[in-house]
Order: sequence, then structure tokens, then C-alpha cells
Amino acid sequence: MKKHRLNKYLFLTLIAALFFLCSCAHYQKNLPLTDIHQNKPYTFDAFNPEHLGDADETFVILTFSGGGTRAAAFSYGVLEEVKNTRLPGSNKTLLDEADIISTVSGGSFTGAYYALFGPRIFDDFKEKFLYRNIQKELALALLNPANWLRLSSPYFSRIDLAAELYDRTIFEAGTFKSLADRKKRPFLIINATSLYQGSRFEFTGSQFNYIGSDILSYPIARAVAASSAFPFLLSPISLVNYPYPDGYKMTDADKMALKDYWSNKSRYYNALNNTMYADKKGHPYLHLMDGGLADNIGLRAVNDLYLRGSLRKKINSGEIKRLLVVVVNAKNEPQETLDKNESPPGLATVALKTSTVSMDNYSFETVESIKKLFADRIEAQMNLDGCQQKLDEHCKDGYKLPALAGGKMKLYVVDISFDNLSDNDEKNFLKHLPTTFHLEKNEVERLISAGRLLFKDHPEFKAFMDEFK
Amino acid sequence: MEYLLVKFQESRGVIVDGISEGMTNQVLELETGFHTVTLEAPPDFTPELHEFILRKTSVISPRVISFEKA
Repeated sequence: MKKHRLNKYLFLTLIAALFFLCSCAHYQKNLPLTDIHQNKPYTFDAFNPEHLGDADETFVILTFSGGGTRAAAFSYGVLEEVKNTRLPGSNKTLLDEADIISTVSGGSFTGAYYALFGPRIFDDFKEKFLYRNIQKELALALLNPANWLRLSSPYFSRIDLAAELYDRTIFEAGTFKSLADRKKRPFLIINATSLYQGSRFEFTGSQFNYIGSDILSYPIARAVAASSAFPFLLSPISLVNYPYPDGYKMTDADKMALKDYWSNKSRYYNALNNTMYADKKGHPYLHLMDGGLADNIGLRAVNDLYLRGSLRKKINSGEIKRLLVVVVNAKNEPQETLDKNESPPGLATVALKTSTVSMDNYSFETVESIKKLFADRIEAQMNLDGCQQKLDEHCKDGYKLPALAGGKMKLYVVDISFDNLSDNDEKNFLKHLPTTFHLEKNEVERLISAGRLLFKDHPEFKAFMDEFK
Repeated sequence: MEYLLVKFQESRGVIVDGISEGMTNQVLELETGFHTVTLEAPPDFTPELHEFILRKTSVISPRVISFEKA
């Protein structure tokens, strides 16, 4: 009897010890910077054509939206067609010219896989991701008793299980150093949303400098998990905001932007959001969720690069002759019955709807905003030409107006969405596909076909190709 | 966008807000707001730096700033 009681206590002690050990489970921490130049290999400037034997005359940017497997498959279809597009007069494909891929949520799986493994994506990505029932695999991981113990820790949550699954089965333990070591464009920008500010957070060396952290050692799978941490279903990815290493100082651009409250609020808030991390005591951690909460099409990163980043520098330096931005937007229109009932929807429906409605609301405006920027540039070029022509006609002294840096650059925006489809049945079918990490094979194939077709048939893409003739 | 013309007696790289960005005597396209502008080496020009707010410009009527040989 006494022995039996002893065994019982021993058993309970063991269980308690196991719980204690497992409750110490911790998410994989980002590491601190030890040197201010440490993140340079993962900045766009380090992916320079001078080093990479590439040219920037034709500059191609791809943006892949959120939308789970629907978005991943749709962007894969576009990527396939970009690969199949030969540029007249050269032995290159359009994909060889891809310089930047900016991704959100489901689109991050496709973008990151291509950036990490290159053309291999066309051999194995369907089996590795698109055809898989990731949702079931995540549910099974949650049902595993060993994980219950880990999940009992306040420092380990569902998103960490998801990141482990992605790391092991999709991204093969790849880190941002793996991307930097490839020394090959495209430069990948994975976008998430900072929960505190509600602003875009990108996984780049420049952004990690603000949080005093090393990006090179950070797993791509965790960045993709943050980018696709859908509200309610998944928890946020946490990062540590470390003290800066010796020699760190605020950039001149941020210093100037912080004076711009009255003159340029977009520039001001961009700098404010980034420099906020200098307050290490006030913000020792940051928590990231689905990139779609700040921008569901990945275009704001491009907008920022065009206004004030590396792209602006290249335009003003005259390196870019033609700029093509391909926006792949897998926005759906799920069949809902909200408006059919007189009684208002329940709390869960309202919570989910209000947390996701913003994801699609501003996508259209963001596309229009970049189109407007491009139109303004073309108009400026035309105004300058027009004025010079009048001067040449009416003034005999041969005065020449100063040239616009970058000259007569050509700009194209190819915005691809299901709405572009002329086949209404197919359009409705694709628009009604849910946002999930599991679709049937035939649904995946139809999305891929749609992506290919919509890219090939887009009038702006045709105009871009005509320029090569 | 706003437009800036940096005048100098020779063609020289322009540094805007600490970043190399285009050349002198060309119209540069920049964002509205405060900027600092200087030139690339050698440091044979004056003033060392211009700080100003760039707004209400157009491509045919850019903000003009000048550097002289020291």
C-alpha cells in the first residue's frame, strides 16, 4: 500500500516536472545585432546588378497578395507565365529580369519559395505546398499531446507550431542568409503588420536595423508565418527589440522626415513608425500579424521604394528605362448570407468580419495610387517635352530646359485580379473560393490557369512587350 | 512628386538626405518635405549643405539651389 502511494507521488512529480519543462517552451528568438553593418547583405542595395552581372534597364517588380492557398496558386500561375515570356532580342525570360518580389500572407509562400529555390519552384512547389492540406496538418499538430504541453507556455503559441511546420516541410530551414548567399535577384520583401502601430513591417535588413536585430539568422518560415498569421486563427509572431550596437545613428532621411508632420504626413508617419523602436524601454517587444491587415497586395512596399527608397535612387540616377509592376491580387468574394437575415450576425461572425474587412478595402486604392504616381511621371516628361518644343519654335537662342533625371522612362502597372476574367462562370467560381490553406487539386489548377491567362492577356503587359519590338 | 534642380558648374553626384541620388544640373524628382542636399567629393564647393523644404514645384518650375566652387 505504501509502495503504491509512493509510485503515485512519483508519477505526479514526473508529470509536474514535465509540465514545468514544457511550459518553458519558447518561440525562436531573433538575435541581436553585434555590428551596425551586419544586415547589409540583406538590403536591396546589396543585391546590386554591378555585383550580380544584371542590368536595371528593364526593372520588374512582382507583388503577390494574401488569400491563403488561393493567392499562392494564383501568383504561381502568373510566375509561370512570367517565366514563359521571352524578351524579344535577348535570350532572357521576363522572370530573369525580376528584381523585387513583395509578398503578403498566402502570396508569401510562393514568393519566398521562388526567392529561395529559384526555378525549382516549377518542379516541386505544387506537391510541397499548393496540393497539401496545410490546415489539417496544423490541426494535427495542435492535437498532438506533446504540443499541448509546449502550448501551455505563455511564450509558445499556435503560430510557432505553424512556423516549425513550414520550416521543416517547405523552406528546409532556409534563413535570410540563404537568400543573401544566393547573390541573385529578385530581392524578396515579406510583409507583415505590426500589431501595436497597425503599420507595415517588412522583413529586410533595413527594417531589422530599427529593432537592433540580425536578419540573416532569422528563418524565412517565421517571416512567412508572421506574414500569414490570419487574425483569430493564428497568433502573432513576436520579435525582441534589442538595444542598438555601438555606432548606430538615425539616418538623415528619417531626421528630415520627422520634420514633415505638416508638409508630408505619409513620409512623417513612415519615419515615426520606424524610429519608434529606438525607445527600447517603451517597446521591448513587437508582435506581428498577417501583412494583409496593413496592405493585402504588397504594393505599399513598392510605393515606398518609388517615393523614397532604392527605386527612387535608381530612377534619379537614370538606371531604369522601363519599369514594370505586376500586381497579383487574389481578392475573393465569399458567398455570405449576412444580408439575407433580418437578425444581426453573431459576435464571432462580426469579429471575424471586422478584423478582415480592412484587408481588401484599400487594395483598389493602393493600385490606383501607384498608377497615379506613374501617370504623374509620364505627364511631367510630356510637359517638359512640350515646353521645350514651344521654346524651340518661338525662341531663337536655342535655350534648353534642364533634363528630367531618368529621362523618358516607360512605366507599366499590370494589375491582375479575378475581375479581369471575361468568362463569368470561371470568374464567379474563383471569386467564391475561400481563404484557406487547403484547396482541391482541380481548384489549384484552375487558379494557376487563370493567373497565366490573365497575365498574358493584360493590355498593359502587351504594351510593355510591344516596346521591345 | 516635387522637382529640384541642383546647379553646379560641373556634373557632380548629388547627395539627398545622405543618399547618392542623381547628378547636378538635372531635374531630380523627390518627395514633398524637408531635405538636405550636398555634393559628392571632392569637397571643393560651398556651402557644405543646403537644408530646405521642397513643395509647390513643377518639372518646368523646379526649386533651384546652387553650389559654388570654393
